[in-house]
Amino acid sequence: MPSPSSHAPEIDRSQPAVVVEDLHRSFGALKAVDGVSFTIDHGRVVGFVGANGAGKTTTMRIMATLDSPGAGRVCMGGHNVVHHPAKVRRLLGWMPDAFGTYEHMSVLEYMDFYARALGFKGDERLRRIQEVMDFTDLTPLADRMSNKMSKGQTQRLCLGRALLHDPQILILDEPAAGLDPKARVELKNLIRILAQEGKTILISSHILSELGEMCDSLLFIDNGRIVHHGDAQSMLRGTETAGETLVNVQIAGNPAKLLEWALTAPLVKVEDETKRGARLRIQAADDDTLAGVLRRMIQDGLPVLDFHREERRLEDAFIDMLGQIDRGRRSEPPPLPGQNDE
Amino acid sequence: MTSVAPLTDFPDSLSPMVVKELRQGLRTRMFGLVMVLLHLLLVLFTLTGGGSGNADTINIWFDGIITLTLCVVLPLRGFSAVADELKAGTLDMLALTSLSAGRIIFGKWASIAAQSLLLAFSILPYVVARYVFGGLDLFGEVAMLFYKWLGGAVLAALIIALSTQRQFWLRALIVGVPMLFGGCGMFSYFVMRGVTGAMGVSSPWSSIASSSGFVWLGVGIAVWLIFYFLSLAATRIAPAASLLSVVKRSVHLAVLCVLLVIGAATSLGSGLVAAASSLLWLVMLDALTEHANEVPSVYAAFYRRGIAGRAWLWLLAPGWITGFLFTLLLTALVAGVSLWMGHAEEARLMLISACGTWMVAALVQLFPTRRARDLLLPFICISLGVSLVLSTLASLLLIPFSMKGSTAWFAVVLPQFVPIGFATAQSGDKETFLMLGTAISMIWPVLLAVLSFLAWRRTRPARLEAWKMTKSE
Repeated sequence: MPSPSSHAPEIDRSQPAVVVEDLHRSFGALKAVDGVSFTIDHGRVVGFVGANGAGKTTTMRIMATLDSPGAGRVCMGGHNVVHHPAKVRRLLGWMPDAFGTYEHMSVLEYMDFYARALGFKGDERLRRIQEVMDFTDLTPLADRMSNKMSKGQTQRLCLGRALLHDPQILILDEPAAGLDPKARVELKNLIRILAQEGKTILISSHILSELGEMCDSLLFIDNGRIVHHGDAQSMLRGTETAGETLVNVQIAGNPAKLLEWALTAPLVKVEDETKRGARLRIQAADDDTLAGVLRRMIQDGLPVLDFHREERRLEDAFIDMLGQIDRGRRSEPPPLPGQNDE
Repeated sequence: MTSVAPLTDFPDSLSPMVVKELRQGLRTRMFGLVMVLLHLLLVLFTLTGGGSGNADTINIWFDGIITLTLCVVLPLRGFSAVADELKAGTLDMLALTSLSAGRIIFGKWASIAAQSLLLAFSILPYVVARYVFGGLDLFGEVAMLFYKWLGGAVLAALIIALSTQRQFWLRALIVGVPMLFGGCGMFSYFVMRGVTGAMGVSSPWSSIASSSGFVWLGVGIAVWLIFYFLSLAATRIAPAASLLSVVKRSVHLAVLCVLLVIGAATSLGSGLVAAASSLLWLVMLDALTEHANEVPSVYAAFYRRGIAGRAWLWLLAPGWITGFLFTLLLTALVAGVSLWMGHAEEARLMLISACGTWMVAALVQLFPTRRARDLLLPFICISLGVSLVLSTLASLLLIPFSMKGSTAWFAVVLPQFVPIGFATAQSGDKETFLMLGTAISMIWPVLLAVLSFLAWRRTRPARLEAWKMTKSE
């Protein structure tokens, strides 16, 4: 159901949903955010990834008008967060990483309080609370005390609160942190439905594999700077092209034959031995080179039973990338905002 | 899908924050316990007091227990009101709603005041019973009940303002020490009354209560104090872009003007100027502890209002820089009226006292304390340090001079020493002492003016951006 007109956010669709330009924020000598720039188009789900202290929460807080930028520009739905914070607040929903509930207040009273605080009155308030509680499956918990719920239920309560005014942009800071697998799946499903409804979602998490599944693109931040902006595949490819590919090979008979072969083969190094073969590090990542290596194995008489590329995890790719940055090997500048996004 | 039952316990017209706080507050064990215990005791006192020979003692206990409940126990419920929200991170979520910092704080206070009022109303039958059986002054008793409630409401506002400090120990220290001394004083008063048995329960108070001029003045000052403490608390939690200072300072200016006009127009003159000086100190404490503001939208709000807006910016924009100018204006007002009324000496002493406060503000800005998240804490600590340590030191150093009957000229060096030195100075030296003290004390506002000029320059980028924003609209 659409939100009531009095709460309808004014959103400028001619501009991207989120524009962050050269954002800086320092706390004393510490540069928490150091020249962050990116854009997010309407209806996109973007994952925000980085280690603790990388600058994720500071960036998100500035986007949510809860902190002020030291320098730079942040626009949400076409409205500058510094110049028009009230307009920005009407069109965004914020779910912080750490939040508390209230004592002596039931789930229904909690939702009622926030609905009142957002300006909903009378039947309209009840209708909106009902919709959100149904969506987040909180209706059966309506009379439960809000501070006596499980972590997963509390997260749903917080998400419900963030959705009360039907915001077009959602900022979710570590929503899956501390959740058990079932609650995580439930939360993931809710986010998926919200994405299908066309909401723009920025979601930070440490669980990269889940972000990879849920998000259209990923923003990687390190030491207050964006080090990558693109989809999960481009992230994997990015580190693969800069590095190597690991291949698992199994042969019939004595695996020593494979090891001997690897000693003389170009571009191939033995990573480690396995029971029936070896893990080989091939100093290339393109399909043609890999096919060439396999062809040569067969031509050289190796009885190959299995030859498959090891699937890299996003976590590995991220750590590799950070390692490359540390070593100064990544000489090219990080991709421009949104460059790999389309 | 089952549906949720509509909540109809509070009307829509009530502030959401008041609704929330009342829902939570009325359910706490503390409130229920206080209510039950109070009524048990009052029933006991009413039954034992009626017509007995020890009626006066019972009346004292009756009075004391109500005072304790309304002026101590219930206000203390605000002890962690804001600190708990800060710790739980719920204030951020509230900031994203349409609730302003002022409404959040007001809701917390209104809830305590409403619970207190509920309790006060529930006491009324006992008051009537005491009137019927004990022949007490009913109007005086009801009026006293109202003053106790009002006093409790002021204390609740003060405690809520203190609850913006996260540290429990600090709040406990600031609230606990005065309450301990105040409680001891109150206890001694009631004990003395019990021992002498000379005074009736309402005799000293009912005469004051019946003087309508004092009543209205007292109520007015209490309302202003509630506003002052609540706005102080709201400032501590408001976002940097908030324009709360405009409302606050406008109200303070208006109240001060009203006090001065009443003072100038009535026989209360010097008393009200003294009250205005106390009020001025409180306003200075607030205005000089706001962080310098570097949010463009704050300045843009003034630029949009043309020349008048730009003029008001110097006095009303958030931050200690404009706060300093505002306090200069207020000090000049109070000193001017005092001079006009012929109290030149009081005017100069008031000016020296203001210089003492500016000195504390200058020290806060000179030291690394200027980077503190909340300037109020270092300000209070330095103020207390200066008042307690330096004033004690000055008093000790003054003893030999008073014994010898000579003037302690060294006391002119610090504004805090001047009033003590002036009081003990030889009558022939008093005028020179005061003049010298005033001249030396003026160093501090000059220093603060230099510091505020430097700080004002640092806000230039924000003001430039605000100017561009205004031009582009």
